[in-house]
Amino acid sequence: MRILIVEDDPGLAAGVSKILEGEGYAVDVVRSGEQALLAVEQEAFDLVILDVGLPGMDGFEALRRLRATAQRVPVLLLTARDAVDDRVRGLDLGGDDYVAKPFAMSELAARVRALIRRSQAQAGPKIVHGPLELDTVARRAYLAGAPLELAAREWGVLEVLLTRADRIVSKEAIIQAVANWGEELSPNAIEVYVSRLRAKLEPAGVQIRTVRGFGYMLEDYREP
Amino acid sequence: MANGRSVRVQLLRRLLPPITALLAIGAVIAYYPSIGPAESAYDQALIDVGLALGERIRYAEGRYSVDLPSAAERILRTDRYDQIYFRVRAPDGTSLAGDSDLPAPPPDDTPNDGVIAYNDVYGERDVRAVAVLVPCAGKVCTVQVAETTVKRKRLVRDIVLSSLVPTLLIAIATLVIVWFGVKRGLAPLARLSEQIKERSPRDLRPIEIGPVPEEAKPMVGALNDLLGQVEEANSNQQRFLANAAHQLRTPLAGLQAHTELALGQAVPDACRIELEQVHLATVRTARLANQLLALARAESAGDREAALEPLDMRRVVEGVADEWVHRGLARDIDLGFDLAEARVRGNEFLLREALANLVHNALEYTPAGGHVTVRTATRRAGDGARAVLEVEDDGPGIPPEQRAQVVQRFYRAPGTAGTGSGLGLAIVSEIAGLHGASVEIGEATAGGHGCRVSLIFPAAPA
Repeated sequence: MRILIVEDDPGLAAGVSKILEGEGYAVDVVRSGEQALLAVEQEAFDLVILDVGLPGMDGFEALRRLRATAQRVPVLLLTARDAVDDRVRGLDLGGDDYVAKPFAMSELAARVRALIRRSQAQAGPKIVHGPLELDTVARRAYLAGAPLELAAREWGVLEVLLTRADRIVSKEAIIQAVANWGEELSPNAIEVYVSRLRAKLEPAGVQIRTVRGFGYMLEDYREP
Repeated sequence: MANGRSVRVQLLRRLLPPITALLAIGAVIAYYPSIGPAESAYDQALIDVGLALGERIRYAEGRYSVDLPSAAERILRTDRYDQIYFRVRAPDGTSLAGDSDLPAPPPDDTPNDGVIAYNDVYGERDVRAVAVLVPCAGKVCTVQVAETTVKRKRLVRDIVLSSLVPTLLIAIATLVIVWFGVKRGLAPLARLSEQIKERSPRDLRPIEIGPVPEEAKPMVGALNDLLGQVEEANSNQQRFLANAAHQLRTPLAGLQAHTELALGQAVPDACRIELEQVHLATVRTARLANQLLALARAESAGDREAALEPLDMRRVVEGVADEWVHRGLARDIDLGFDLAEARVRGNEFLLREALANLVHNALEYTPAGGHVTVRTATRRAGDGARAVLEVEDDGPGIPPEQRAQVVQRFYRAPGTAGTGSGLGLAIVSEIAGLHGASVEIGEATAGGHGCRVSLIFPAAPA
């Protein structure tokens, strides 16, 4: 996995790159938007971490030009600005996620993992989350290498949670994703599917958290 | 108006003396040309009486007499208004008929066409008199006729009145027109001040010059220039804040990254404790920087009322819930939600900032294993609906006597644990104020446990 960091502050760039290297990624650092565009043209990256507040060509402009070249590499925006508009603008321009400075390294690392996982899921049929593996084309699930039996609705719920692992997903969003057209699915039904999924996944250390009054979250998987 | 500085009062004060003077002059000017002919007409009537009496003088045997029947004398003396007196005198001055004590005309008056007209006093009354010289037996007899001045005074009064009344009416009309005309002319100014009064102090848009009178335009222009300068200063401050935010946060992010990196390595225990202190201080500094920037932003006009837009706080909470769940998990606190529609006119950025501070406080002061709930709701109040954003926890709570103080800047309750700066609730209160919302601090449960902070907004229509 190769990550490009575009950050003009050398201290921050060095810190982030060391942490990501520690997580097992190959990391390149550039200081400006122009250099970032050159780098992306020459090499294939799995993720770009882009600071919005770059000198010269700012992050938004770099992102716009990057997307104009039909580059689909996922982009995680770093910003020190706090206007809601910036966040909306960044995502509108084709950014995939957004982290506000300053941030905890664990948060950044989790976002990086989630983005890479998501782009892999879009690129290929397999989604991997720790010992859990979903083959979205064959619709087969494996847990610690062994086939995992899932009912259709359980599969649907797990797929939604997995594509948004480490993020909270509202019950409404789950219902929308798994309910067929014209079918009413109650929040209680979702609870039933989640509790069945928990029974199957928890022995392998995969946790689904309940967020009271909101929904669920598939917890980021860390090796025990 | 009452202090006499009113334009109307000043104008009237200045107008009143010249108008009074004009009235007086007008009366005098009207009086003299009309009194002369009228007086001479009355005098002529007296002269006619004198001539008629002169006809009645007889001369026989060296004696003069007047042949005046008493009926004729009654007719002669009859007048609707005045008392008539007469005296007929022989050439030697002896009275022949009439009022023998009527005084003689002043000796120095020379007769004009055989008549002397003069003013006199008779029987303690003002009289107008004529002395007509009539020929009698080759000599000159004198007939004096006098009358009191009642009808002459009436005439003067009538003349003065008839000339005064129209001018008086014109004067009154002038004063009335000035009084209401000034009020009417100044009405655009009154509207202008209403317009300025009704403005929010954060509304820095220029005042429309439209209906303002020409004379007030420089004032409005100056006011608009001032508003423009304030606006300019505000947007400069906004730019400064955006830059400051960036310049502060980037190195702090770097510092945080490196301390976390260092902590991830094998370091001696003594060193680890120091590093953890540095890390903690970094996180606190970052948070403090964020809060100060948020406070400055909430205060500056960049987020003025015009920037409020209709939104549902439920969606605002849903949009940021993710950020807080992780922190709750890390502290082993059950962060839950109770979300229903809550429509307000608000600024999303500031509302998120207020929410972040409330949730941060709740997570900070609630012990592990506790519960924190974020709630949005629309509640019926006496005179309409209220949108509510509240955060409650089952932590130690805030004692009633400290609740007024906790919203003050940098106030930290005595003996509190945690790493707060004392700015959180001050920011919440500032942001609530901007939205016309009130902040209520209470207990989460009836038993007096826990803390509940509610922001109560005037509900916006859906």
